[in-house]
Amino acid sequence: MLVMLREVQIPLLSAMLLGGCATKLARVIRVGSVDAGLGPTALFPMRLRRPVAMAMCALECGLGLGLIATAGQIGRGAPAFSVRLGAGLLFLVATSALIELRASRPDIGCGCFGDFSQAPVGWRTLSRSALLALAALSTLGLAPLQPPHSKAAAALLLGVLAAELAVVAGLSPELGEALVKLGYSEPCELRVVPSERSVTALRRSKQWRRHAGLLTADVPVDMWRELCWRYLVFPGQYGDRETGEREAEVVFAVFLRLRRPLIHAALVDAATGNPVQWPAAPKRAHFLSRVFRSFRLIRLIRAALLQERVRPPGQLPAEPDEPAPETGAQRSAAFY
Amino acid sequence: MLKARGERGCCDRCAGGTGTAGAARIARRRLLKDAVFRPPAALTPEPSDWFAPPADIRAGVAAGVGRGGETAQETAPLPRAVTGTVLDVSPQVLIIGDPGGRPGSEQRFALTSDATAWRGAQLEATELHEGDRAVVRLHPTRRGVADRIWANIGRVTGTIIEHTSEFMVVDEGVTRPRQIVVIPPRAAGRIQVRFPTLQPGYLIDIIGLRGPAALEGLIPATSQPAYPAGRLPEAPLVSGHVPDAISGSATWHEPAGEPPGVLGVAYPALDPATGCVEDTARGHCRGYARMPYLAVGSVLLVRNDCNGASCALPVTGCAAVARLFNDRCVTCGTSPRGRVADLTEASFVALGGELDRGCFNATITIGR
Repeated sequence: MLVMLREVQIPLLSAMLLGGCATKLARVIRVGSVDAGLGPTALFPMRLRRPVAMAMCALECGLGLGLIATAGQIGRGAPAFSVRLGAGLLFLVATSALIELRASRPDIGCGCFGDFSQAPVGWRTLSRSALLALAALSTLGLAPLQPPHSKAAAALLLGVLAAELAVVAGLSPELGEALVKLGYSEPCELRVVPSERSVTALRRSKQWRRHAGLLTADVPVDMWRELCWRYLVFPGQYGDRETGEREAEVVFAVFLRLRRPLIHAALVDAATGNPVQWPAAPKRAHFLSRVFRSFRLIRLIRAALLQERVRPPGQLPAEPDEPAPETGAQRSAAFY
Repeated sequence: MLKARGERGCCDRCAGGTGTAGAARIARRRLLKDAVFRPPAALTPEPSDWFAPPADIRAGVAAGVGRGGETAQETAPLPRAVTGTVLDVSPQVLIIGDPGGRPGSEQRFALTSDATAWRGAQLEATELHEGDRAVVRLHPTRRGVADRIWANIGRVTGTIIEHTSEFMVVDEGVTRPRQIVVIPPRAAGRIQVRFPTLQPGYLIDIIGLRGPAALEGLIPATSQPAYPAGRLPEAPLVSGHVPDAISGSATWHEPAGEPPGVLGVAYPALDPATGCVEDTARGHCRGYARMPYLAVGSVLLVRNDCNGASCALPVTGCAAVARLFNDRCVTCGTSPRGRVADLTEASFVALGGELDRGCFNATITIGR
């Protein structure tokens, strides 16, 4: 059992080291600089931070790969011993550095896993580092790893690995941060929504179709955002011949959501800035009347198609100056 | 980026947009927004009062706070701030005005034994010189009595571009000229304690005496962030809705390009779609604090947590440099990290801030 526990440490340590190196590299790529690293590098003078960060990352990568390479028969003996001793020393030094960091810069994260390690160094981070140092030192003198001899041994090995992973996860503040980032949805007040998107959504909306007749330009004269709403102002006109046409502004407020945003609209007098009533829309026909008209329209289209079929190929339709006798169906078409 | 008709592509405003045209536009936006939503008038001051200086105060002599009546002012009468040039000073009277202004345009303020002044250090009000540029905070209850006077105060907040043994060149954003800061030997130690990395790319925030060509840096306004300006750490994520009230540090800036005495606030999170015309030369897009996006003309209720004074102020610009700081204000207690408002001189003084301290703990509420 004890040997099994020691054997589990090799892949675990390797995964931790390679994971740390990968997340640090990801941060460097994202930020675009090596000296942007977090953690104990802040304890060094400015000119040394970059080389220390690079050396740290290279060391983690080298030891992680070395642990895997020397786990079996290939690196048995001195190479395996050196790599495991190196890993143990690295974690011991890291523990000491984190204690120092906690005392001198309590606001800084450990930087062990790049962007995920921004929480200030606490007892969990320190315990994890000490545990990993102990784990690395426990592998000194371990014989080359062998595949498990039976299913029961394999299951036990996996169980031990899972238990230790659970302990390490419990000691990792990064896990909570990673889960938060995975399931994070930005509030609408902080969401970046391009203005083009709002305009496109507006032009597809019912509100736009309803009020487009009032607009005199399709480019907004003003546009701004406040919290979850983007406001677009279009020039327009309202009134009729009797009361006289007046300059107006149509204001649309588009909710900043990516799909089917809620839209409000208001009509404002351009001179006074006061809201005015929307002009009355043409009265819509009754539902039954609309159904009846639809049937008549279908009959009309059928009649037109039949006429097209009966006409011999090459024969042109009647000239406009020679009007054909008007039928009832054509009168309906004109109506529609 | 979609452009509104007749607009500059980069932004929905230009430098100096806080002038008459800018104020009119801001007022118009409030009207149009109200037309859509008709919100309760709790946080919405009368548009004409946002920028309206008193009729007796002209350009060069500045405006007061709270003329909008109850809607623009949430609390007891705020002390008024007046800026101008010292024309004369005697043990009893301080005369402020514009040296080129017409006769009769100057203002007289009584000096009491309680009145204090600052010009690089605390001094008696009678030690002010003719020609000093002064910011005067009036007594909160006795109009016409000077309570506190700052003479020739200046502030440089930005990214160090160049540093020699004699001076520093600082970038404060593209709408402001590069600033030259000279640190005298007597202040060097004090400044280096708070700003240990005086290297290009790092942030600096120094208060001092404004000279014709350079600022004589005397007081560190904050502690230097540990990161270079281009490497902002990420702020904690915000889940759910952003809270109505956000606390942090409120700072002030010099009125470069703004009308003197204008009341307003530069806000660190303007809509990215409109951009930030005041951005620094390196163009850092996102600030430290995660704050809801607003536009020029949005109204904030800014509260000074140290004395309880509060006032509704319009957003007049983007705090291109202030948003890069993740510092705390420790004027009264320790504020949360990040600058939530960069006030104009007049607004800062009117809310009870001490210019030579650099900040006050503030809570902002966004007018919804």
